[in-house]
Amino acid sequence: MLERIIAAAFAGGLIFAAANFANAQTVGPQGEAATPSSSVTLSDADIATLKGKGYKAALLWHTSSDFTNAVSAGAKDEFARGGINIVVTTDAQFDAARQRSDIETALAAKPNVILALPLDPVTSAEAFRQAVKDGTKLVFLSNLPKGYKHGTDYASIVTDDLFQMGKQAADAMAKAIGGKGKVGYIFHDATYYVTNQRDKAFKTTIEKDYPDIKIVAEQGISDPARAEELASAMLLQHPDLDGIYVTWAEPADGVLSALRNAGNPKTKIVTLDLAEPEALDMVKGGNVAALVADKAYELGRAMAAAGMKSLLGQETPPFVVAPALTVTKDNVAQGWKDSLNRNAPQSVLDAAK
Amino acid sequence: MSNANTNAAVAASFAKRINLQQYVVYFGFVAIFLFFAIVLKDSGFLTVRNLSNIVLQTAPVTIMAIGLVFVMSAGEIDLSIGSTVGVTALAAAVTINQYGLVAGVLAGLGAGLLIGLINGAMVAYVKLPSFLVTLATLGLLAGVSRSMTDLRSVPVIHETFVGLFGSGSFLGIPSLMWWTAIAVAAGHMIYRETRFGAHVLATGDNARAASVSGINVPRIRLTVLMISGTLAGLAGLLYAGRLQAAKYTLGETDLMTVIAAVIVGGTLLNGGKGSIIGALVGSLMMGMLNNGLILMGLSVSDQMIVRGLIILTAVAVSLREKNR
Repeated sequence: MLERIIAAAFAGGLIFAAANFANAQTVGPQGEAATPSSSVTLSDADIATLKGKGYKAALLWHTSSDFTNAVSAGAKDEFARGGINIVVTTDAQFDAARQRSDIETALAAKPNVILALPLDPVTSAEAFRQAVKDGTKLVFLSNLPKGYKHGTDYASIVTDDLFQMGKQAADAMAKAIGGKGKVGYIFHDATYYVTNQRDKAFKTTIEKDYPDIKIVAEQGISDPARAEELASAMLLQHPDLDGIYVTWAEPADGVLSALRNAGNPKTKIVTLDLAEPEALDMVKGGNVAALVADKAYELGRAMAAAGMKSLLGQETPPFVVAPALTVTKDNVAQGWKDSLNRNAPQSVLDAAK
Repeated sequence: MSNANTNAAVAASFAKRINLQQYVVYFGFVAIFLFFAIVLKDSGFLTVRNLSNIVLQTAPVTIMAIGLVFVMSAGEIDLSIGSTVGVTALAAAVTINQYGLVAGVLAGLGAGLLIGLINGAMVAYVKLPSFLVTLATLGLLAGVSRSMTDLRSVPVIHETFVGLFGSGSFLGIPSLMWWTAIAVAAGHMIYRETRFGAHVLATGDNARAASVSGINVPRIRLTVLMISGTLAGLAGLLYAGRLQAAKYTLGETDLMTVIAAVIVGGTLLNGGKGSIIGALVGSLMMGMLNNGLILMGLSVSDQMIVRGLIILTAVAVSLREKNR
């Protein structure tokens, strides 16, 4: 999971005007309003037009992970509807030079559309230039090469709704503790765009929407391995915490372990991203109340749809946002499917029976 | 009948004389090329643009490989080259933006030279094993490059620099090819034709014997690591020119590729024997492998598995034959 956060940090290049907290929404790099991914779809006529054209696609990712697999799967299924083959898939291993080589190599296969996560705005600007010159339709995930213009240089940027992820975590927390009480806030103490946005959205939402909930303890964390120590210290000072928000699932392992060691079944945990240990605790009625995830499969689907619209010469939205998803005991099986497009781990499914 | 026997004997002795095993890398290169040329004939592999891309993409790796041939021939290793690239590229980018072309180039190459000097001094005079010294500097430099610009990428907007080290060309040939050609030619000359080259090999073959015969072994060790550092600096400049930006991650994934290129190219891991031309072909082979496996449409995991198996085979064949 840390891998994803690092990935996001790369994506972070901090170009987005950030979630606009006053308006409580995620906005694009040039302040574009967000288009929900669900509205990026193709009609049957569009699909019919695309079929038989023999278009080809390339997926140029920054790394290989659960997340990129789910995004790829979403893209593959959507492309398949339009009869588009994925001819190239690459993993730049976070290396900007390698990403440049991957792009050049992919272009030899003459793809009509490229879906990619540009590693960072500065290095990717030159790297994607040839693809733009070749007339390849570009759909970016999360990040935009510096100076690129919507319409002429790229079709769309698709990203997670980071604000919604943090907000839904706050809503889930409020629900779990009955709308009032004391909570601890364990945030990612590093300048990583994705975690920072989500953490901030959680805090803002609690402060703004839930006047009866007080954040009584705040603790930054940079090394997930230290989560247990930090949580134990927090519980020592505030034994009566009703809930703890944890910035992502890996440090939540440590928090969970601290609660178990303290024999505390009462304090609820809400964290982000799907992970087996937390989900298992949740379905067994333990401390974990909810997991908030992104819809990686939907991200991929929307990217492919935007790319195909662009191939058809249709208008494409500059900034597309895929929704967040709150997973609780009740929807854990479906949640896994919606987020990662695969079955929840068997242990979780068994325990949920 | 006897005629045929004589012919076979002549062929056998000829094969022995030219030591076919030495040419494993060339056979491997041709075999892989032909395989991709046939399998990928409709996927753009054989286009001029794709083939020239392979050469351009491998330029930094080739140049680092030349340095490593010297280091390994002397019986040492330099694990810090990948991290050196990030430091030198950032040093060059920051300096160019503030003080211009010449200062930037000197900063990049100078940083590489300095790193090589530190590595070399620790190995030659403090008498530490190069594996441990450069393993330590590998980590140290990765930290340095991260802190230099606080993880930020630095754009390089100097047109002349970008032309010289990146997207430019001279007499219709891209500058990255020029750098590769110059480095290979100079490296080959020094390695094969100079006394220094002979001393490097003698040191790697048997350091004590070399020392007894009057070779200044510590100085050879220092010099090869300085060559390696400086060439890593040049590789950093090429990356910065090619991407028109520098970033701390540049070069970090290159170490294994460089080592594989050098070993497949016929340089012994423990010294005494090597080939600059072999390293060039080894590097091109690695680039071609990456390129072809991507164009075959393999999934990322499959690309890694197949690449690993091919490298393993190539290394097994080249090393096995040489130790016989």
